[in-house]
Amino acid sequence: MKKKIIAGKKKTIKKPLLKKITRNNLEELVSELTDELNIRKKQLKQSAVRGKHEKEKFRGEVIRGGVREKQGADREKQGENRERLAQEQIHIRTKAMESTFDGIFIIDALKPDFPIIYANPSFYELTGFSKNEVIGKNYFLLYGVVDNLHGIEEIKQALLQGRPFQGEMLNSKKDGKKFWSLLRISLVRDNNGTVTHYVGNKTDTTLMKQRNLEIEVQREELLHVTRVGKLAEFVSSLAHEISQPLTAILSYAQAAQRMLKDREPQLQEILQYIINDDQRASEVIRRLRYLLKKSKPTLETLDINVLIKDTITLMMPHIIAKNKVIKFESDSKLPHIQGDRIQLQQVILNLISNSLEAMESSNDARELLIRTSLKDAETIMVEVKDSGCGIPEKNLNKLFGHFFTNKPDGLGMGLSISRSIVEAHGGHLEAKNNPDRGATFYFTIPVNMKKDQ
Amino acid sequence: MPANIFIVDDDESVCRALKILLMSYDFEVKTFNSAQNFFDTVAHDVPGCLLLDIHMPEIDGWEAQKRIVASGSKRPVIFISAEKQDNAADRALKAGAMGFLQKPVNAQTLVDLINGSSKK
Repeated sequence: MKKKIIAGKKKTIKKPLLKKITRNNLEELVSELTDELNIRKKQLKQSAVRGKHEKEKFRGEVIRGGVREKQGADREKQGENRERLAQEQIHIRTKAMESTFDGIFIIDALKPDFPIIYANPSFYELTGFSKNEVIGKNYFLLYGVVDNLHGIEEIKQALLQGRPFQGEMLNSKKDGKKFWSLLRISLVRDNNGTVTHYVGNKTDTTLMKQRNLEIEVQREELLHVTRVGKLAEFVSSLAHEISQPLTAILSYAQAAQRMLKDREPQLQEILQYIINDDQRASEVIRRLRYLLKKSKPTLETLDINVLIKDTITLMMPHIIAKNKVIKFESDSKLPHIQGDRIQLQQVILNLISNSLEAMESSNDARELLIRTSLKDAETIMVEVKDSGCGIPEKNLNKLFGHFFTNKPDGLGMGLSISRSIVEAHGGHLEAKNNPDRGATFYFTIPVNMKKDQ
Repeated sequence: MPANIFIVDDDESVCRALKILLMSYDFEVKTFNSAQNFFDTVAHDVPGCLLLDIHMPEIDGWEAQKRIVASGSKRPVIFISAEKQDNAADRALKAGAMGFLQKPVNAQTLVDLINGSSKK
């Protein structure tokens, strides 16, 4: 960076004075500014000396003619011009630094107690301290000591080793109010490579943190509902499976009782015990089923696009963590539907997480596409398309059955619940393999849900 | 002549148990593990009461009942299901069935219902 400036000395004056300031190039800008300041100071000194020389020379040679007089005056003017431009640039860059949303401060690295020598207005606003309380103070003594001893040690280590620092931390304002901030500290070196200043760049991340936290809470709630739903479905399947043999046992026992009519009173009695206990077991199942009775969908008017967007937001941390990309192609003209927000969100969440899992093993399978469209005037179609491993043809029919799973820790309830939710809304949930790779799960939701469903 | 009973249930053990039970009441019982199997074997004008499971793969109980009604058959149908569905009894009657019994079924209740259907 330094090289560039020195090589392009003359050019730098002509280039646009104000670069667009972003968080990313701010540090670069500040260090560029410091470097350039030094260069400019030297240049100024030189041209001032030259100007003075010329002036004196000119005075001595004044008798020799008017041409030289003009040249000397020009050079002096040039020097003034440069000075004016340089000052203008300093002015604009200072203003720029003062206008940023991030808190910026500069520490003198050559003084033993590392005092803060500059801070911009945003820094004062962010920390709640006034100029008098900041300038000349050591950054670490200023605040934060109580909050994060470990973090401070980390910063110190980085700076001592001549490395820039970057980290997120919880700080306190002067009034004790906590705020999250991303602190980045870069090093400013002189031409000899000696660190002369540290430039700190403090970004308030409290809102971002809060938003992330809210998303996390929502996601947890949804997952909880999903888990409860899975349990209910599990119990319901289990109840069904157990009811069948109980039916058979009861029928066998009652048949035997009839066959032994008026004979073998002891066997009759035993058969009666079998019947009683069978009925007791049935009663337990009936009660269990009643406890976990599936709640009926609570219908409200929903924009399916908004619902999908919200669900994607909830899943975003997962998607990023798995290094996948999600694309949402929405038909903005879709009519609203009547549906149960939580239940439909469960379906979308389930389909997204299945797709992510299908793409888990492959690094080049990254893209997940969700598309909404109008299948016909009465039906909305939602497709979730992945580029994962696809579904073996023999499993396509079994996918939606109870207890069908390919996952080592799966219950095999997700898709069967999803299908029953979609069907409760009057739609259908299906799956197919894509012609190229991966699979697509798609469901329909009628615009006007039929009353009897 | 003993009355005919047909049982359609995909659970083999349930079929066998109900058959033994109803045979002890002197019914003539035939069992089928799918509705399709029943339709293929028994013409719809052959008299006899049908005990029909609801939850079955492919053609479920409701669909089977629909086809029976659509065929013009007057066959009495009793739904028998392990699943406790809301209004299943109402729905069964609306679908033209004689009744709905939840599994496990009590022998006497079932026999009374069958006898009721044949008197009708």
